[in-house]
Amino acid sequence: MIDYHKQINEVLENIQKVIIGKEREAALSLVALLANGHVLIEDVPGVGKTMLVRALAKSLNCEFKRIQFTPDLLPSDVTGVSIYNPKEMIFEFRKGPIFGDIVLADEINRTSPKTQSALLEAMEENNVTVDGVSKPLNEPFFVMATQNPIDYEGTYPLPEAQLDRFIMKLSLGYPNELDELEMLNRTDQQHPIDQLVPIMDRSQLIEIQQFIDNIYVDETVKHYIVQLVSETRENEYVQLGVSPRGSIALMKAAKAYAFIQNRDYVIPDDILFLAPYVLAHRIILRPEARYDGITQQNLITQLLKKIDVPIRKEVHG
Amino acid sequence: MRIAKEKKSIPSFFIMTAGFLLFWEWLRPLGQVTDTGHIPLLVLYAALCFLVSFFIQNGLWKFIIKGLSLLFILDYLFLPGIFLSSESIQFISQELSYNLSAVWDSQWYLMTPFFRSLLFLMVLWLMSYLLHYWFLVANKFFLFVVLTIMYLAVLDTFTSYEAEIAIVRTFAISFIALGLSRFMKFREQGVEVEIQKYSILKWIIPIIGGVLVTASIGIFAPKLAPQWPDPVPFIQSQANHVGFGNTVQKVGYGENDSQLGGSFVQDDTAVFEAISKERLYWRIESKDLYTGKGWERSSSLDYNPLQSGAVQWQAFSTQAVDTTEEEASVTYTKESNLDKVPIPYGATEVTTSYSALLFQDLESGMMEMEVSEQQGRSQPYTVQYEDPSFSIDQLKQVSDKDPSAIQNKYLQLPSSLPDRVRALAQEITTDKPTRYDKVKAIERYFSQNGYTYQIEDVSIPEAGEDYVDQFLFETMVGYCDNFSSSMVVMLRTLDIPARWVKGFTGGEIKSNQPDLPNGYKLYEITNNNAHSWVEVYFPNVGWVPFEPTSGFTNPTEFYQETVAEDMDSTNPEEQRIEETNPQQEQQEQQATDPADNEEDESALGSSRSSRINMPIKVMIVIGVILLVLLGGFSYWKRQEIRTWYLQKKWRKISEQLDIEECYHYLLKLLAKKGFNRNKGQTLRQYAKEVDETIGKSDMYDLTLLYEQYLYRNGQVEVDSSTLRNLFQRIVHQIIA
Repeated sequence: MIDYHKQINEVLENIQKVIIGKEREAALSLVALLANGHVLIEDVPGVGKTMLVRALAKSLNCEFKRIQFTPDLLPSDVTGVSIYNPKEMIFEFRKGPIFGDIVLADEINRTSPKTQSALLEAMEENNVTVDGVSKPLNEPFFVMATQNPIDYEGTYPLPEAQLDRFIMKLSLGYPNELDELEMLNRTDQQHPIDQLVPIMDRSQLIEIQQFIDNIYVDETVKHYIVQLVSETRENEYVQLGVSPRGSIALMKAAKAYAFIQNRDYVIPDDILFLAPYVLAHRIILRPEARYDGITQQNLITQLLKKIDVPIRKEVHG
Repeated sequence: MRIAKEKKSIPSFFIMTAGFLLFWEWLRPLGQVTDTGHIPLLVLYAALCFLVSFFIQNGLWKFIIKGLSLLFILDYLFLPGIFLSSESIQFISQELSYNLSAVWDSQWYLMTPFFRSLLFLMVLWLMSYLLHYWFLVANKFFLFVVLTIMYLAVLDTFTSYEAEIAIVRTFAISFIALGLSRFMKFREQGVEVEIQKYSILKWIIPIIGGVLVTASIGIFAPKLAPQWPDPVPFIQSQANHVGFGNTVQKVGYGENDSQLGGSFVQDDTAVFEAISKERLYWRIESKDLYTGKGWERSSSLDYNPLQSGAVQWQAFSTQAVDTTEEEASVTYTKESNLDKVPIPYGATEVTTSYSALLFQDLESGMMEMEVSEQQGRSQPYTVQYEDPSFSIDQLKQVSDKDPSAIQNKYLQLPSSLPDRVRALAQEITTDKPTRYDKVKAIERYFSQNGYTYQIEDVSIPEAGEDYVDQFLFETMVGYCDNFSSSMVVMLRTLDIPARWVKGFTGGEIKSNQPDLPNGYKLYEITNNNAHSWVEVYFPNVGWVPFEPTSGFTNPTEFYQETVAEDMDSTNPEEQRIEETNPQQEQQEQQATDPADNEEDESALGSSRSSRINMPIKVMIVIGVILLVLLGGFSYWKRQEIRTWYLQKKWRKISEQLDIEECYHYLLKLLAKKGFNRNKGQTLRQYAKEVDETIGKSDMYDLTLLYEQYLYRNGQVEVDSSTLRNLFQRIVHQIIA
């Protein structure tokens, strides 16, 4: 485990060579990857989303694919298509870009819902069905979808049910002035991404993912998660609370985060740290919340303050 | 711990002024309700105390200024000579020692005006200090407002004080002060947005305006008449109906006998203690006028001073009656409120070892004593008396010719007296030849005819009923007053002069006797011993006591000439008395020297009560001093004591080294130290906060271990000594 941990740290260092001052988001992306989940990044263009994914892919020695979603993109452009080979006289399946290890689904809200759901189905089921034949996707498989903030022109907002498929939703945001200056300095001659060296390979990554499954979550911590999730369902500002899928996602993410922190057990701090990223996009607020200036993220933060952190062995209540 | 810091500012000055004005409302009624004088001076002193409390920071200076001005006021009011001259200081020290000794003896009524004023000024001092703290440091005003209004309301309801204007004043002052107090609170909490920008005027003007408007609306608005009747008469009437005081009384000596009858409850409060050779009846007074309901005096009391203690008043002629010279001493108990001087029959001289003026009414024999305040009544007085022994033969032989003065006074009867009383008296005495025989026949009549002595369920004569008649013919149940009154009335119907006498019976011999000269005993006389009996006039002899009440025996000796030789047998006793006499003379000599007072009184054993009580008092004082010392010490060393206690408790907990228990004890300690953990705060976050304040990382390290214990499946990877050390270190840091 200690070796893995060292490697993971090196991966993070690698990313930080490329993306400056976004340690938290880098770590969160890695957590999502290790937890076998997918990330949605909502951001304006040009803040380094692509670089983040590429750095990740390169460090892990994974195949990187990119799909640029446009309004005229068809589902087959994502999944791939069977083409008749006149020489061999058979239909040959041409793999779409989804058959990569790490896939960047750029501007996912620009394409039609039909194409969006093709991607999301693949993410959920880890395989695609073309012409009645089911084809498994790569392992590991990690999608990092980006979307412009929804109030931009010419977008198809993702349906809420499908947002649930992402283990977490991040936002990179602009770097601060110092970081941006540093970024300019680094990219002056040659882009740092080209100098990145792979830290581990895919098999190791899979091993780590399996290891993370065994990280211990105490009953008290599970109880803590459940309490938090049920709070979201009962809050007056919430129209639709977090689904059980959300609780599972939070626990998986917490395990991965504990691993990054070099721990083989989850503590409430992990939950506290991850909950806003993992749960916020899963709740739908009532219109009143908006008038009262409440966002999904700060609602979660407020709920966390209300719940007792377990500080004794036995579960209360 | 956050200690509220007192800030001096214009609003706080106003608050203090308002506080003083309210306090003034407390002092104002004193002149009317009590007999306190010089109210303006007291108000002035209170004002000074408030000002000093406000403006002067240094505690020593505060003390000096307040103390000196207190002395100055006392000097102005009471002291002779120049302020703080040796004369006045001497006066003060004398006053203090006298009053403190009075307080020591619980003789509160002996405190001098000087001392009372001193105490009152000290109360003002204390109040000013407390109120200053209340208003400005604790910033609590409301409670005092409520108290003031309650105080005024109570005074207005139950005394002659009219608090109408005072209530309005209080209302206005207190609401302005409450507004200011609110302002101060805002300022303390840092809500300074608007307030700081504008002046206090912005705040205070609307308040004053509002208060004035509401006050004037309150004053001028039409008001309902009181919805409830005035409670005072109601309460009084209720109290009467319940029956306090009027029908059931306590046994004891009372002066008003105009309405006899009714039940009594026992009251064994000791009234006085007497040292004498035998059990005596202690006579206080006689009454001559029977009204049909009770006894009154036909002429008002006429007190004459006793010249050097010699008793002029005599019940009987000491020349005509055989007497033996005896001596007794009487000490009032502390709880006694008897203001009469009880004396035995034949008293010739009453002497006190302290300066006292004695007065006696020559008709009824009632004696009173005026004691100079310095000595108190705790000292005994001595009575020389000629103990009478009446010769029955002599009494039988006296003529029936009473002096006309006696006849006029002591044969009186109300015209309403039923005839059957007279008939009964005639019937009892038909075959009795002499006055003495008749008296004895009536005296014996009650016990021989089923009259019962009891103090409960004794009826009071209704209008038109005669007290004596009711007892003799209807109830036949009663106590001494019934028996004695009946006997006097019946004798009077037979033209035998008789009078009704009140006093105390001889009481009980006390269980713990002090050292007394041979033959003397200490008797305790309680309120239960209050008694009444009969005196009958025999020409040439005087008034002779008789005891008609069933169950009581007359302690007065009667003898027949035939047993006159028995008198010789009493001779050795007389000698014994003479033996003791030199001792008494010596005592009287010493009595002129006040310094030796205490010693020779103990020789006679009369200061017994103080001898017993001294150790108790000393113990109480020592106990209080010890408590104060202990309290002071523990306050001074409170940190150390707390640390010691916490460490002791910690040692107990840490023996098991149950990490959960230890850690939670630690959390408790921290919470007491002011580190409060929010509900949603994780242990790590909390530990970081703690460490930032303490400046070490121990708490964080420990928390990581505790997290392992809590959330990890398995053992904590640490040996117990490290864990113990870690805990020990933090606990010590926190406690220290």
